[in-house]
Amino acid sequence: MHRLLARQIRQSTDEAGQVDMARLAELVSTAYEESDGDRRRTDRAIKLMIEELEQTHKRAEQDLSRAREFLDSIIENIPIAVFAKDAKDSRYILLNRAGEEYYGMPREAMLGRTPQQIFPEDIARVVNEQDRRVVDSGTPMLLEGHVLEVGVKGHDRVVNSRKLLVRDNGGAPQYLVGVIEDVTERITNEARISHLAHHDALTDLPNRSAFNAELDQRLGRAQEASTSFAVLSLDLDRFKDVNDVFGHPVGDMMMRAAAERLVAEADGAFVARIGGDEFMILMPDDIRREDVLSLAERLVEAIGKELEVDDYLSQVGLSVGIAVYPGDGVDAAALLANADSALYRAKREGRGRVCFFETGMDRELRDRRLLQHDLRHALEQSEFQVYFQPQARMDGEIIGFEALLRWNHPVRGFVPPDQFIPLAEESGLIIEIGDWVLRETCRQAASWPRPLQVAVNLSPVQFQTGDLERSIHQILLETGLAPTRLEVEITEGVLIGDFTRALNLLRRLKALGIHIAMDDFGTGYSSLSYLQSFPFDKIKIDRSFILNLEATPQSAEIVRAVLSLAHALHIPVVAEGVETEAQRAFLQREACEVMQGYLIGRPEPIERYADLIGINVERRRYA
Amino acid sequence: MQIQYRHWNAAHGWRGASALREPAQLVLYFGSRQGLASGARYRELRDLYPDSHIVGCSTGGQIHGDDISDDEVVAVALHFARTQVRVVDVVVDSREASRACGARLARKVMGADLAGLFVLSDGLRVNGAELLAGMTDLLGPDLPVTGGLAGDGTSFEQTLVGADGEPLPNRVAAIGFYGTSFRFTHGCAGGWDVFGPRRKVTKSNGPVVEELDGSPPLDLYTRYLGEDEVAAMPGSGLAFPLRIHDESEPDRQIVRSVFAVDRNARTLTFAADIPEGCTAQLMRANFDSLAAGAGEAGRQARSALADEVAGDKLAILVSCTGRRKVMGQRTQDELDAVAAELGDDVTRIGFYSYGEIAPPGGSGRCELHNQTMTVTMFAEAAE
Repeated sequence: MHRLLARQIRQSTDEAGQVDMARLAELVSTAYEESDGDRRRTDRAIKLMIEELEQTHKRAEQDLSRAREFLDSIIENIPIAVFAKDAKDSRYILLNRAGEEYYGMPREAMLGRTPQQIFPEDIARVVNEQDRRVVDSGTPMLLEGHVLEVGVKGHDRVVNSRKLLVRDNGGAPQYLVGVIEDVTERITNEARISHLAHHDALTDLPNRSAFNAELDQRLGRAQEASTSFAVLSLDLDRFKDVNDVFGHPVGDMMMRAAAERLVAEADGAFVARIGGDEFMILMPDDIRREDVLSLAERLVEAIGKELEVDDYLSQVGLSVGIAVYPGDGVDAAALLANADSALYRAKREGRGRVCFFETGMDRELRDRRLLQHDLRHALEQSEFQVYFQPQARMDGEIIGFEALLRWNHPVRGFVPPDQFIPLAEESGLIIEIGDWVLRETCRQAASWPRPLQVAVNLSPVQFQTGDLERSIHQILLETGLAPTRLEVEITEGVLIGDFTRALNLLRRLKALGIHIAMDDFGTGYSSLSYLQSFPFDKIKIDRSFILNLEATPQSAEIVRAVLSLAHALHIPVVAEGVETEAQRAFLQREACEVMQGYLIGRPEPIERYADLIGINVERRRYA
Repeated sequence: MQIQYRHWNAAHGWRGASALREPAQLVLYFGSRQGLASGARYRELRDLYPDSHIVGCSTGGQIHGDDISDDEVVAVALHFARTQVRVVDVVVDSREASRACGARLARKVMGADLAGLFVLSDGLRVNGAELLAGMTDLLGPDLPVTGGLAGDGTSFEQTLVGADGEPLPNRVAAIGFYGTSFRFTHGCAGGWDVFGPRRKVTKSNGPVVEELDGSPPLDLYTRYLGEDEVAAMPGSGLAFPLRIHDESEPDRQIVRSVFAVDRNARTLTFAADIPEGCTAQLMRANFDSLAAGAGEAGRQARSALADEVAGDKLAILVSCTGRRKVMGQRTQDELDAVAAELGDDVTRIGFYSYGEIAPPGGSGRCELHNQTMTVTMFAEAAE
């Protein structure tokens, strides 16, 4: 009897052993219902579970298929050739788009075929050998940086290729998978980057770091072999003007042309471009001093010839400083510093020159740097002063003053203007200093009781940079000086460079009522053409002519010629440097209008000329 | 140890075996919520055992020997020769306080020679898993803790626990046994098998599962139970518990059954927290596998008990209400299976619960289970 039925009978039997049939029937019936319920639940659960598992399976298949499509599209589109072959016979079973390009044939022409059916015999043999090696050894094959043997991309492509074996579940060789990556660009780029790191992008000459490396090598070699060699430091003169006049694109072409000339003339020496217009040359070992010099002079000459690029003509110059190992230095730093010192001397001596290093030059360069340093602080420390030198008619009547800048250095004393003005121009400090001079001069002149003229010198740099017109206008407004009392003196340096710009600026200044004087007339190159292009209010004859009036007859002739030229153009002339009565008499005879010089008065603080500007000394004292 | 068995029914009141020769230290009793709610049964027991600790709870059916009853109240009075007993209880105001309450209980029972802990807890308003975690925090994982959550038939409305007082909701009682003579063994097994796909718990909030694989969990149960049986949720849901697998604790495989249903939100509340991101898989069982599972629990408990015990041996069977619901009249089979393993010399008492407390598989730290049979044995070593 079933255990449950036995229990049901027991539960339906009373203490007397009587079976309650109704109770028993109920228990049995309930048990059947429970059984049915359990079976229904079970059936239902099994059915649903199958459904759910089928759905899950379907979803998994879909996911798998999506993942496969995703991977397929990646493989299809990566720019690396991918193929798969049957491991048994090397028959191609997969090839992506990059693979088609690599082999130069559509995949239909390859899939299902063996290398023998696709490639020329010699290539097919190599491919098969590689395949067999990978299949037999089970180790991947990696060929790096080899040149293509097949395909239409040409034999100049460099590739990395890799083949590996895929085994089936039982471990037997199933597929050969290969990737072929075209690394030509990468290799070229790497070479290019390395080239760029050591070469100047504009001229393709070795750059500073390449030069330093070469210099170190040469030093090592020279030390071992006890040889000597020369280091040349070169600087293109006036190259900045080329950029200013023609713009940088043409400037760049000019720079390339200049570099080509240097290389052509340098005769195999190591030429490097180390900065904007700076070059260095390392001469071969044991070259005689005179040969170094003659090469340097040839370079100067070659660069000095007119450069023509795209119909643009320009003339630049070259200055060269030379230091020789071991005499002028036994390490790189000393050699470079001394070649620079020599270069500085060459430039200071008038550019277009060659200078060997000499002891003392390095100190000169150091001094110059120190002076430049001091100059930077001179304005803040109020070390500048404006001195005034009177200008007079030939009868002695004072008509005005020329303002002259003086630098009273606390230690050096008065520093000559020809020492610090070029420094100020080089560093650009001239803009600030020039502004100060103008403002100070105008401020003082505006306070004078007598409305005398006052002349201020302007530097070419002030014309090239900054807003000179605005600045002068502003200063006149600030100080209240009538524009007609102000005269600016320019040298022809102002007109070299951006001629049109300078001319426009002069015209606008003149339109304000300011007088424009041509300074240092007779010392430059083409003053006459400038006279033609601008209506100057005055011409100043350079002091050198006046000084030599009595000594050299030519000077007198020149002065006479200048005066007659100016008179013909109705331009008054100021003679500078008049120191003697004889000079004055000569100028008066020749009808010169104005004179300036020690005969009239030295440059002095304006207090010394208080009476000339109309301040009554007595009155001032007791006022 | 000596045991006196007693039971109560409406017709005869309390009846039972002959009185103990020595006074009982502890009385355990189990009854239906309706049978215990008035407090009369407790008061009667208090009269019978004025000096004993009296601890009991409401159930989903009482077990005594081979029988299951819903109407009778069953009790055992225990006299220990060399074991001390301490009874403590706490009121749990909210589910959130469960862990802290576990810790408070643990502090109250801590002692150098604490040999084991038997816990009866409210089955609906206490987060059983957190309660146990709070206790383990203080007592460590090695102290054996067993017991169960009180039940309320298949109505899931209110459960009661009493410790030296009338049984009330929101209570947790713990009985600490002290001394080296006390023997405390346990077994725990289910007999359920997982089936169907694994599902992700995509949204949950504490014990409330809001989404399984992005769908309301009630939809899943509706499909599996059919519309007719779903109407009887949560009771009918006991047929399909969930096995929960948490990636962060890969070795812990927990079974949870449905405790409450929100038919509007179509969410289900389970007996303990089910973290988001867990994997859940449906489980099912047949009568034979459930009975075999119960037998396994009995075997574990009995085999752990050494031979050198003296006096009576008590086995407390705590089985899940869900099992009874599934097995119907065949529930008896699981009691038979346990009895066969334990042997004739063991007094058996117990109840159908809303959660079983025992270390899984007879070892390790104690856990809250659903859908298992747990067997705890008390005995004392021979002198």
